[in-house]
Amino acid sequence: MLAACTQVRPWERGLLAKEEMAWRTDALESALNDHIFFSKEASSGGSSAAGGGCGCN
Amino acid sequence: MIFRKAGYASVMALTLSLSFNAFAVEEGDDAPAFSLPSIEQGQPDISMAALEGKTIFVDFWASWCAPCLKSLPLYNEMYRKYKDQGLEIIAINVDNPVEDGLDFLIDTPLDFLIPSDPDGETAELFQVIGMPTSYLVSPEGKVELVHMGFRTGDMEIIEEAIEKVLAAN
Repeated sequence: MLAACTQVRPWERGLLAKEEMAWRTDALESALNDHIFFSKEASSGGSSAAGGGCGCN
Repeated sequence: MIFRKAGYASVMALTLSLSFNAFAVEEGDDAPAFSLPSIEQGQPDISMAALEGKTIFVDFWASWCAPCLKSLPLYNEMYRKYKDQGLEIIAINVDNPVEDGLDFLIDTPLDFLIPSDPDGETAELFQVIGMPTSYLVSPEGKVELVHMGFRTGDMEIIEEAIEKVLAAN
């Protein structure tokens, strides 16, 4: 069941910060969509992981 | 039924996380021996064995890790302050590709030893639990401090531990 799953090690988390790992690669479109979504939801944040994924700060 | 499944999932997740950190290097452990190539081409390999008898501060860093980049210039100041008393710093770069780490070093030259570990072999050896993580190793090879993350005020904690080890040797 877990054969395809693997834990991303702390020193490999830079991979998660790469552009090709983003759900939406167009930064402008992504920012616009977030703005519309959070305006409607009256909330902000939580749409992506913060920073480089150090997992410590 | 749903709760039972959730329970199984929790136990499995806990088991996985425990097995992942089961062999992490902790304070009081012997520091693992390693030898890595320098991030700078043409420079000799960097190993713990070559620095026998020194107090060694081993730090794991990467260019994508913001707190790491904040800490390194401060470690450089710390190195200048304590190197005459026997402190060595080995800042292991885990960038893959290595060029990402080198790009940072062009703008921020550092005086201490910087090996490259793009495959994370030494990080695996230490079972690094977050980035950055640093280890203070006494001249006897014992880990005296494990420090994870980097926040304002952390330099005081690190320098206090270094002074304690230097004073004891």
